[in-house]
Amino acid sequence: MNPLPAIAAIPEHAARIAVIAFHAFTQLVRMKVFYFLAFFALILIASNFFNLPQHEGPEAAGVDVLRAIKSWSLGAMTLFSVVLSIVSTALLLPKDVEDRTLYTILAKPVPRLDYLAGKLLGVLLLVFVSLAMMDALMTGILHIRTNMVLADQMTFAEARGWPAEEMEALKTDILAQGPTASLQGAVLSVFLRATIIASLALLISTFSTSTLFTTIIAFLIYFIGHFQADARAAFLSQEAGMSDGILAKSVTLVVALVLPDFQLFNVIDAVIEGQVMPLVLLGKLTLIGLFYVVFYIIASWLIFAKKEF
Amino acid sequence: MSVSPPAVEIRHLVKDFKTSFRRQPLRAVDDVSIRIMPGEVYGLIGPNGSGKSTTMKALLGLVAPTSGQCAIFGKDSLKVDSRNEVGFLPENPYFYKHLSGKETLEFYGKLCGIRGSTLKDRVTELLELVDLTDASHRRIGGYSKGMLQRIGLAQALIQRPRLVILDEPTAGVDPIGSREIRDLIFKLREQGITVFLCSHLLEQVQEVCDHVGIIFRGKMVKEGRLEDLIAIEDQTELILKDADPGLIAEIEALIARDAKAELIRSGKPRTTLERLFLRETKRQETQPK
Repeated sequence: MNPLPAIAAIPEHAARIAVIAFHAFTQLVRMKVFYFLAFFALILIASNFFNLPQHEGPEAAGVDVLRAIKSWSLGAMTLFSVVLSIVSTALLLPKDVEDRTLYTILAKPVPRLDYLAGKLLGVLLLVFVSLAMMDALMTGILHIRTNMVLADQMTFAEARGWPAEEMEALKTDILAQGPTASLQGAVLSVFLRATIIASLALLISTFSTSTLFTTIIAFLIYFIGHFQADARAAFLSQEAGMSDGILAKSVTLVVALVLPDFQLFNVIDAVIEGQVMPLVLLGKLTLIGLFYVVFYIIASWLIFAKKEF
Repeated sequence: MSVSPPAVEIRHLVKDFKTSFRRQPLRAVDDVSIRIMPGEVYGLIGPNGSGKSTTMKALLGLVAPTSGQCAIFGKDSLKVDSRNEVGFLPENPYFYKHLSGKETLEFYGKLCGIRGSTLKDRVTELLELVDLTDASHRRIGGYSKGMLQRIGLAQALIQRPRLVILDEPTAGVDPIGSREIRDLIFKLREQGITVFLCSHLLEQVQEVCDHVGIIFRGKMVKEGRLEDLIAIEDQTELILKDADPGLIAEIEALIARDAKAELIRSGKPRTTLERLFLRETKRQETQPK
């Protein structure tokens, strides 16, 4: 009996990774994870009615609602993407080991790196699709609401007989609070942060013994990541007075290598305030994201390649 | 003409596992050597915890040998390409519950690089082989134990491997399901596929295997051709049908006259409980309701 012709040419790594990624994505989708979108829709609707006390003049009326929509939406996106990234990644590997499905996969001509990369990509695909859906919902509602605010304000300004250039400036200000390119950049930043945390969870799950352990440690590192920069700065300022700083520099380098600095992603808050997100900054965040993903995957592979089942 | 390499070659395999509390590592497999030639059906038998599964996992590269080498058709087991020629059914397999039987086979097929109509045809062929065509669109989560084992066997065969490794293929399966799996092993043997199976159900091993190894506490204690191992050289068996008592008496008298021969036992042979069960369930099935 001859082997099938396709076997003669060993498939490309990319094709195999894609098979595992789409499978992991299907697995997670069939776990009904998209139900959280209903919660997101509720949050979004609630944010429409969440009126902060009015501190500004009537010319700013409605703008705070637009900010609230963005703030609540991006907050929910961050929460869902981080939880999805950590829990899904922490779940997939131990489940395969426990159910012995991993045996049947690794008994096929599947390199362990392909398996890991496929699983991570599957989770990232899920996070990406979820964020895209949430983004579409947010952008849609924000678009409608911005037009409503704009119409109100224009009526208000016309009634007061504002000059044309002032009305134009008001219009620009209001549109800056609506669905802008920077807002899409902020959503992409949320995805990049989720990418880093998912690959970190993958690394932890290669040596952890349970889903719970992986989840807890990943969340801890996520929170530490928000204080990492401050701690590093404080440490450096202390060390600078005592030595030439080589030790301090190496320690901070190691810390920065292992623990990502999530403060870099605080640019999202500026976007909520209506500021423009420079493209260079987005490029920098993308590079940082890529660096950590590659670093964590290689580290995961080094551990996973030696693992016995 | 080049001589084809053995389907399985395990040389002086030793596997130690580190234990948390004891300093002394646990030796699961101790200097085991197995050579299986293409087309053979080899049964590795031994009690639970004797090292059968560890030997198989070492052969599949799932565990790294402490010392010794394993090879599949001459290719080192620790290399990924050795897995092109092998299909594996683990003990009590659980496949992805969210996939149907058909999707499961497609997934494993794609992992082996099979695509398009080749994959579609192969999946249909295998579903027919393991008699799961009717259940092919049902989720694996709803499969019975026997069906799981059969879909497991089908996924092991997806890329037409020349070697199939089966770890306790009939564990926990009812006699009918067990018989179906045995029939499938016979079919594999007819197709010239090498089968390496391990089991502690000795009767089954005796039925399907032509070579047997007995492993105990990690050591290979006996190995060889089944016929050679179980034959009782100084005894002969005669089974007669419709023989009248006169003929039996004559045979017995003949034996009594011989100075050397001795009649050890005579009487009616008994069917096995398994055969009885299969016959009765089949009869019930064929009877009109």
